[in-house]
Amino acid sequence: MATDVRTLPLARPEPRGILRSLLLTLPILIWSLLMFFNPGSSTAPIRRIAAAITVLFMTSLFFMMMRTRSTYRWRRIFFVSLGILFPIGFIYNLILMRGSMGIPVEEMIAGRTPFCFMPIPFLILPAALTRTLVFPGSIASSSHGIAAMVALWLALTLVMGKGWCSYACFFGGIEEGVAAIPARAKIRKLDPRLRYVPWAVLLAMVLLSLAIFEPAYCMWLCPFKAVTEYVAARNALGLVQNVIFVLLFAGLVIVLPFLTKKRTQCSWFCPFGAFQSIFNKISIFEVKIDKERCKPCLLCQNACPNLSLSKESVARGETLLSCMKCGACVDVCPRQAIVWHIKGTQIAWKPERARLMFLYSAWALAVMFGGSIIAESVYTILHFVV
Amino acid sequence: MPVFASCGEALLLGLASGPACIAACGPVLVPSLLTERAGFRPHVRYLSAFLAARLLGYMLFAVVAWELGMLASMLPAPRMLLMGAVYVLLACILLWYAYSARRTCAQPCADSKLVSIGAKKNRGVAGAASLGFLTGLNLCPPFVAAGIRAAQMGSLVAALLFFAAFFVGTSVWFVPFLSLGCFVRNQAVITVARMAMVLIALYYLSMGIAMLLGKKVYGY
Repeated sequence: MATDVRTLPLARPEPRGILRSLLLTLPILIWSLLMFFNPGSSTAPIRRIAAAITVLFMTSLFFMMMRTRSTYRWRRIFFVSLGILFPIGFIYNLILMRGSMGIPVEEMIAGRTPFCFMPIPFLILPAALTRTLVFPGSIASSSHGIAAMVALWLALTLVMGKGWCSYACFFGGIEEGVAAIPARAKIRKLDPRLRYVPWAVLLAMVLLSLAIFEPAYCMWLCPFKAVTEYVAARNALGLVQNVIFVLLFAGLVIVLPFLTKKRTQCSWFCPFGAFQSIFNKISIFEVKIDKERCKPCLLCQNACPNLSLSKESVARGETLLSCMKCGACVDVCPRQAIVWHIKGTQIAWKPERARLMFLYSAWALAVMFGGSIIAESVYTILHFVV
Repeated sequence: MPVFASCGEALLLGLASGPACIAACGPVLVPSLLTERAGFRPHVRYLSAFLAARLLGYMLFAVVAWELGMLASMLPAPRMLLMGAVYVLLACILLWYAYSARRTCAQPCADSKLVSIGAKKNRGVAGAASLGFLTGLNLCPPFVAAGIRAAQMGSLVAALLFFAAFFVGTSVWFVPFLSLGCFVRNQAVITVARMAMVLIALYYLSMGIAMLLGKKVYGY
């Protein structure tokens, strides 16, 4: 039975000292400077300004994570910024290159479709059975190439598991931003069976991609085609495809997050998220619930943006497989019963150390991957403004 | 051509094109198998029914191929119509199957029947057989290649034998699907499989309608 939260003793963590926080932030500052001001980077003034803004942005957020000992709200600022800025830079580049967001068939045949991480699960079976990559992109292209993206994805995934969806995905930020707008959720009762939908989409799209020899999800169901790159509609079916993209985007990324205050596309639809969940099994970082401290007030369940906590999982002392390690539940728990945890150690054994180890890994990769995207988009904006 | 030589050719064609066959049948076969009970025997029963009905589809096609001589599948317009009709039927059966599979036992239970589509328990049409028959008529590239060779046979019996040998060759590739019996069945797995079936059915339905209307899928 849910406990009255008001009777629980509040045990908010004390802020860390400024000097100590600065010291803890130093490795991320050095990493960011190495990433954006290395000898090979551009010396153009606008590029330098964009890089400086990005370094300042990423380092300040990490500093605040250290200072306040809370993760979620600072990570959210980064993630929402990434979600908003990515389409700006990407669309600008598309228009610069080909004058439109629509990709014509000729470009696909020429293998010039930029590769995002979404099709990765759909490439595996056709590649294994026929040694063919069913994506009309280039393998070795330096930017947007399949090999580069797969390598990045693999590195981040092995470290963070489904943390990818909170620190690297450049799509999820839009709905997280929309979900943050209303003060209260208008729809509170959510059918738990909807959690199965991403797995069903994954299964269906993997099988269909093998059967029709193209990434079926990208062709038919990706909501983010609406804000990135879509198939140029030249006939009725092309139009239908684009209508599906726009409707899915409007429904899952705008309307439902606003009504539920949840990341509904991630929780109820995204097949890549379901695929990433599998890697939570091998990632050493996880979020655990100390059952001895937990009075099941279920504040964590309400706070989780991804529906990764249920009454049953809280009773078991763990999150569901779909946990994105965003830190919302850890931050909201009034008894600090939810902790960052490294597999193989005792629960609640130096949880702040586990948090720091996770955050160093996650943020270093976020600077490298998301930071680069932010820097590129800031450059685009500055290019227009200045 | 001696019969045994043409049968050998068909067998090799079937073996060589097996991956294409399982790729074409996978979207139908995998989710429907996942809605059946766990275990080796239910899966053997399912695959037996599926493959037997698929053989029936093959034989029917062999008769048509040989009778028409110039195979219907070689002509684009009738081929599109036939594929469109098969896709629409397949979509309807898949939707019906997903609905009927709601009664599948997630836990070990006495009911050893396969999912039967239709309202009355155990009195409907066997779902596996329906799906097998329709995938047997699915004009995937290796199947069309086999149809063209069968049309060139000297007699109907030879055409039937050719397709039977082709069927044996492709069926070998279906044996690994028995391993799906090892997967744990719980309500989550069955629900995911049923939802996937609905999605796949919607895809087939849209493709089927587009083909019947003579529309091309974008870019192809």
